[in-house]
Amino acid sequence: MELTINGEGYSFELEDNGMPLLWVLRDVFDLTGTKYSCGIGQCGACTVHVDGLTARSCITPASSLEGKKITTIEGADSIVILSALQENWVAIDVPQCGYCQSGQLMSAAALLSKNPSPSEKEIRDGMRGNLCRCGTYTRILEAIKKTAEDLSS
Amino acid sequence: MKRRHFFRISALGSGSLLVSTFIPLACASEEQEATFWDPNFFIRIDSNNLVTFICSKAELGQGTSTGLAMIMADELGADFDKIKVEFADGSKEKYGRLHLQDTGGSNGIRMVWKPLREAIAITREILIKAASIQLGLPVSSLHTSMGYVHSSKDDQSVAFGDLIAVASTLPAPLEVKLKDPEQFQYIGKPIPGRLTQNASKGIVPYSINVKLPNMVYAVIERCPVWGGSLITYTDSAAREVPGVIDIFEITPTVLQQNDYKGGVRPGVAVVATNTWAAMKAKKLLKIEWDLGPNSKFSSSDVHNGLVRFKESNKSVAANFRNAENILKNSSRKLNANYESPHQANACMEPLNAVAYHYGYKVEVWAGTQSPSMTRERISELTGLQETEVTVNNHPAGGGFGRRFFCDFVEEAVLISERVRLPVKLMWTREDTIKTSKYHPYSLDFWEAAIDDEGMPMALGYQGFTSGPSAYRPFPYGLPIAYRTRLSYKNGWLIPRASWRSVLAHPWALGLESFMDELADSAKKDPLKFRLDLLGNAEIVEQKMDPWVGDDLHPEKLKATLEKVADMSNWFVKTDDGLFQGCSSISYNTSYCSMVANLRRGPNGLYVSKMYAVIDCGLAINPSKVKAQVEGSIIWGLTALLKSSITVKDGMVEQKNFDDYLLLRIDETPEIEVEIMDSNDVPTGSGEPAVPGVAPAVLNALFMATGQRVRKIPLDLGSF
Ligand code: FES
Ligand code: FES
Repeated sequence: MELTINGEGYSFELEDNGMPLLWVLRDVFDLTGTKYSCGIGQCGACTVHVDGLTARSCITPASSLEGKKITTIEGADSIVILSALQENWVAIDVPQCGYCQSGQLMSAAALLSKNPSPSEKEIRDGMRGNLCRCGTYTRILEAIKKTAEDLSS
Repeated sequence: MKRRHFFRISALGSGSLLVSTFIPLACASEEQEATFWDPNFFIRIDSNNLVTFICSKAELGQGTSTGLAMIMADELGADFDKIKVEFADGSKEKYGRLHLQDTGGSNGIRMVWKPLREAIAITREILIKAASIQLGLPVSSLHTSMGYVHSSKDDQSVAFGDLIAVASTLPAPLEVKLKDPEQFQYIGKPIPGRLTQNASKGIVPYSINVKLPNMVYAVIERCPVWGGSLITYTDSAAREVPGVIDIFEITPTVLQQNDYKGGVRPGVAVVATNTWAAMKAKKLLKIEWDLGPNSKFSSSDVHNGLVRFKESNKSVAANFRNAENILKNSSRKLNANYESPHQANACMEPLNAVAYHYGYKVEVWAGTQSPSMTRERISELTGLQETEVTVNNHPAGGGFGRRFFCDFVEEAVLISERVRLPVKLMWTREDTIKTSKYHPYSLDFWEAAIDDEGMPMALGYQGFTSGPSAYRPFPYGLPIAYRTRLSYKNGWLIPRASWRSVLAHPWALGLESFMDELADSAKKDPLKFRLDLLGNAEIVEQKMDPWVGDDLHPEKLKATLEKVADMSNWFVKTDDGLFQGCSSISYNTSYCSMVANLRRGPNGLYVSKMYAVIDCGLAINPSKVKAQVEGSIIWGLTALLKSSITVKDGMVEQKNFDDYLLLRIDETPEIEVEIMDSNDVPTGSGEPAVPGVAPAVLNALFMATGQRVRKIPLDLGSF
């Protein structure tokens, strides 16, 4: 089958139609920025964009994505909001272990593209699907607020 | 540091190192045929001026590698932004047994601070000497800065890389002077972590990302009850899954009650061409287990067993200032019991390891807190010499104590031994919740003798501690007696691991809640009550091996409490809807005081804000210290408000993040952290802010409701 990931075409043979996108990205294409953590759509570590909307790649079969545009953290450079978020992620020193952060960033980018100036409550609601065991939440909030400000000016 | 070092110059072949044995944290460019000088185990300087810090401690997100690299940069006079960070492989030959390598007890910076500075100061002096020879200038006119040796007399300077040929022929000086704090350029500044940039791009090289040629993927279905065994299994459906290569029984290691290092459970391994196939096939295995004796017990049996143990074992293990007599003769007593459940570490990166058993040697790639101990265990497991075992350490997606235990690496090695291919062993999230190692269930019994004024005269304690320690100290200066340590008559129901702050958590839940109860009995403000006691308490001697810290100074703890009182406006309450509680914790000679703000919202009470003040000696990187305190508060709130592991018929009842819940961003209070100014030896910041969270919130809950809750977790919203 064929997938479009970060603007590039990937063709491969899918042995198992049920194989989630997550494992195609990680094990087949070595796009390891997208992470496995729960496998049941609870933690957000595996978040990618499919046609600009967030998707949990651990529960999204790759076979359902033919013809769709998939974006992963590796494709961040092509998305202005994502690059701006990354800058503030570094400036505010958000990551601790970093493992959840690809997913946090993908969710944050989708949030800001839908709602360029979210209230604090809207950020909290929009990001509640992404767990961070290290506890970086307060810095994530700060970095998203700052990015929204940066992008509006 | 008195021995003469022998130095060597070697060629750095490009590309000869596998990507996975080489962990670039910074994106430094490398030239092809650089030579290098590695005067000690912490540093390598290349002829192309690349300075590499070799971090012996594990990086789990706590920022230790950043802090240590900053220390190295300052002591050497290097450009921090250009330093590359690599992680050392497991080696007790280089780093000793635990001290400089294996990471636990918030000891990363504390342990390495001094030896690192000494080794790097020697390196610096050799470079200066080499420059003096090369430039024909006196040593006294030279100094290092930003990767160069500079002459203060004229404009001459020479890059470190251009000095290594001469430096490598020079003997180490017998004595060196460490830099004065005024000379620090990086230490004490909030600098984004070395992982931060890469984490924001999703390119941190966790072991879960390692891919070797011909590597296969494995998972294990483990016996759901600890101590059970495998009877038989059917794998016909599992073998049908496309990509499955092999399925076989894992030979378990002999179960040892107190094996806190590793241990392989009985199980069936599935090996496949990709992770998904292995996971899918695992679910299709039909396994018949002999669940063993633990299958007769549940969480309530653990509780009852501890209560029974207490009733029949009351002897005094440690008695300070005649506490036991005071307790015996007192007519007025206060008693309270505190209970906290089993917990799982639930690191976001599930446990995993890559292993390649070549037959005559073993190499592993893992994010481990204990590369030295892991190497030792693999040597034991395989019968190979430790010199034939290489443990490449990777940054890990969280550790919190769980990655100190190397069971997951042992499993990977066993599977690779069988298939003789590189194997990536993955734990599913369910494995990390259902068949892991756990923070133990605790029950703590506190009592106090009270005088006519309601003031405490002496305290008595019985729980998992038989005397004071650096991790569970008693700072308040009152007479205190410890009774026999509680233990399980039937052994552990589920195996034990370390969980961020370990037994300091139940200890502080009891102590800091009980202090509030005592303050109430004395009709005193609970924060003022603590300040008064700490003001009169003497320095408490701390016994630690190795001795790297300090004694417990009650006045330092008092200072953190005073500061947090200021920050939180503790003594100037004007707001009727605000309920505050406090706690003050000493942990391995770090100090942390906290105030929790509770308010009432549409869904009942909630934590609206947490204040914390930490004294961790000299804070190497305030950004990372604050991050650790923030993260510790989230950790503590999760344990208090969300999750617990419960056991029924020997089996853990939770399985994933849908029933082992973690605090989410919409449940996170505002957090304000301050660091005490200090030039004392850096201590630790990864754990000291965990234990005080639960009691601070529970004490605030008492203010709000008059109810004492002594068992966690709890549903705040129901109050
Ligand atoms: S791994 Fe997909 S939501 Fe957790
Ligand atoms: S940074 Fe470690 S899990 Fe989020």
